[in-house]
Amino acid sequence: MPKYAEDPAWSDVEPLPQNDGGPNPLAAIAYTEEYSEAMSYLRAVMASNDMSERVLDLTEDIINMNPAHYTVWLYRAKVLFNLNYDLRKEIDWLNDTALKHQKNYQIWQHRQTIINRLGSADGETAFIAKMFSKDPKNYHVWSYRQWLVRRFELWDEGEIEAVEGMIKEDVRNNSAWNHRWFLVFGRDSSAHKEQDVIERELEYAKKAIVLAPQNQSPWNYLRGVLRYAELPVSHVRDFALGFAPADSPDDVRSSYALDLLADVYEEQHQKEEAIKALDLLATKYDPIRARYWEYKKNLLEQPTAAA
Amino acid sequence: MSLVSGPGRGGITEGQLPSELRLYVDKHVTYIQSLDKRKDELEYWLTEHLRLSGLYWGLTALHLLGQPDALPRSEVLDFVISCLQDDGGFAAAPQHDSHMLYTVSGVQILAMLDALDEFDERVSGGREKVARFIANLQHPKTGTFAGDIWGETDTRFLYGALNALSLLGMTNLVDVDKAVEHVQACANSDGGYGTSPGAESHAGQVFTCVGALAIAGRLDLVDRDKLGGWLSERQLSNGGLNGRPEKLEDVCYSWWVVSSLAMIDRLHWISGSKLQEFILKCQDPDHGGISDRPGDMVDVFHTVFGIAGLSLTKYPGLVEVDPI
Ligand SMILES: [Zn+2]
Repeated sequence: MPKYAEDPAWSDVEPLPQNDGGPNPLAAIAYTEEYSEAMSYLRAVMASNDMSERVLDLTEDIINMNPAHYTVWLYRAKVLFNLNYDLRKEIDWLNDTALKHQKNYQIWQHRQTIINRLGSADGETAFIAKMFSKDPKNYHVWSYRQWLVRRFELWDEGEIEAVEGMIKEDVRNNSAWNHRWFLVFGRDSSAHKEQDVIERELEYAKKAIVLAPQNQSPWNYLRGVLRYAELPVSHVRDFALGFAPADSPDDVRSSYALDLLADVYEEQHQKEEAIKALDLLATKYDPIRARYWEYKKNLLEQPTAAA
Repeated sequence: MSLVSGPGRGGITEGQLPSELRLYVDKHVTYIQSLDKRKDELEYWLTEHLRLSGLYWGLTALHLLGQPDALPRSEVLDFVISCLQDDGGFAAAPQHDSHMLYTVSGVQILAMLDALDEFDERVSGGREKVARFIANLQHPKTGTFAGDIWGETDTRFLYGALNALSLLGMTNLVDVDKAVEHVQACANSDGGYGTSPGAESHAGQVFTCVGALAIAGRLDLVDRDKLGGWLSERQLSNGGLNGRPEKLEDVCYSWWVVSSLAMIDRLHWISGSKLQEFILKCQDPDHGGISDRPGDMVDVFHTVFGIAGLSLTKYPGLVEVDPI
C-alpha cells in the first residue's frame, strides 16, 4: 500500500527510486515496499533541497524503520535548524526513539547536536537514568554523559551521587567506575591530589572489593589511585593480604589481590614471595594467562627489575 | 556486500572434541558469495548504509581464506567507484553521504585489489581528492578527526584516517604529531584506551589507538606490559574474549584484542588454542558464516573477524594477516 504516493501533501514530489542497475526485487514484502517508497521520497527531497515541515514526518518514518541510516539523521538536523523548529519537541521525540533503539548510536550524535544548540541540559540526567535502567553499560550513553558534564560543567551537580547509586546496584559495572574516575580525577589534575580525596577514593574502592573480591573494576581503580597519588603499592599490602593470605595458598579469594601482592613483594625485594604468588596465578588462579605470569616472573630474574 | 544476518546460526553440536573442530573454508566462501544475492530481504536494504564496509569485510575474509578472486574484481571496482562522492569522500552506497568510515573502506578495497593506479586512471586525480577529503576532517587544534562534516569525533576516525592516508602515501597532508597527542590523551589509568579522553577503555578503541600509533611509528609511547596485561585479561575461561571488564565474550574481539596484542609483541599472553576453539564453535557448519557467540545468527562482520583471529593465532591453511 503506497503511503506517500497517495498523500496530497506529497503530490508535488516525484519519488526517486533506488538506482542499483538491476530489476527491483523488493515487491515481495510489504514492509520492504514501505521502506523503499519512503527512501525514494527522501532522495527526491534531498535532491531538491526541500526543507519543509513534512520532511520531519518523512525522516521520522524512515528513522523508525531504520535508525542506523546516518544520511537521514543529517538531513533531519538540517531541516530542523532551517525551520527553527521547537527543539524541546525534538528531544521529546528523541526520548521515545532512543528507548526503542537501544543499540543505535546515531541517535546520540543527533541528541548532542540538538542539546548543544539548545544550550541547556535540563532533564538530561533524568533521561539518561531511564536509558541506564535498560542497559547500565551502554557505551554511547556514557560517552554522551561525559560530553554533557564537560559542556555544562555538571561536575558537582549530583554526578558522583548518581554514579555511586549505580555502583551500589552493580558493583561490577566498569562503565560506572570509569565515570567516577572521570569525575574525580578527570577534571583538573592538580586540584584533586589532596590527601583527603585520595584517602576517600582508596576507601571507596576497598569497600567495593570487600563486597566482591574477584571483581576487576575496583582493583583497577585502587591501583589507578595509588599510581595517581604516587603511592607505593605496598600502601595496600595488608588489605590485599586479606584476600590472598601468603601462608595459605588454598584460601586465595581474589586473583587480583594475588597479582597486586606480587607487585608489593617485588617492590619490597621479596623475590621468593613474588615468584610464589606468580606461580600460583599461573597454575591455579588464572591459568589461561600462564604465559603472562611467566613473563612477569622472568622480569624478576632480570637484574634491572630487582634494582 | 550485504550485512544481512543468517540464514544460519553459529554453533556446533555439543559433544564434539576440541580436536574434531575444524574450519569450514568452502562453506564460508560460498556464504560470502551469496550475501549479495539476497536483495529480496528487507535487511539487505536496511543495512545499505554499511555496504562499502561490508564489501571490505567480505573481501578480507576471502583473501584470508586464500580465495581472493571469489568475487569478480571488476564488479567490485565499479561498485567502489560508484560510491565516490563529489567532495572526494566515499559513501556506504551510491546516493548516500560521504563518511570517514566508508572512505577508509573504499581506500582499503582499492589497495587490497592493487587498484590505486587504476583508480587514478578512471577518476582523474582521484587519490589526491580522496586524501584531501580525509585531511580536511582533521581538527587543527586537537588533532582529532571527524567522521563527516557534522564534526563527531572518535578515535576510530583518527585511526581510519591515518590508515587510509598511509595506503595512499599521503600522511604528509595531516598533522601526525597532533593526532598522536590526541591518542595519548585517550589513554586510561587501567592501561587501555577509550573513544575520547576520559571514556572507558574498550578493546575496539584500543585497537584503533594502538593501530594509529603503529602507523605513526610511535609505539614507543605505549606501556606494553600494562596494556598487554589489560588486553590479556579480556580472555575468559571459555577461550573467548570480551571488549571490557565484566562483559560477554564476542568473536569480533578476536580481531581487536589479538591484533593489538600482536602490535605490541604480547600475542603469546593469551591462549591461542583456546581462542581458536571458541571461534570454531561459532561457525555454522552447514551454510557457512560465523556468529558473535555460539547459538546466535551469523553475519559477515563476525565472519571476517573470526577468520582474522584464527589467522593471527596461526591457524593452519590461512593467509597471514597484517595486524595493522
Ligand atoms: Zn561482535
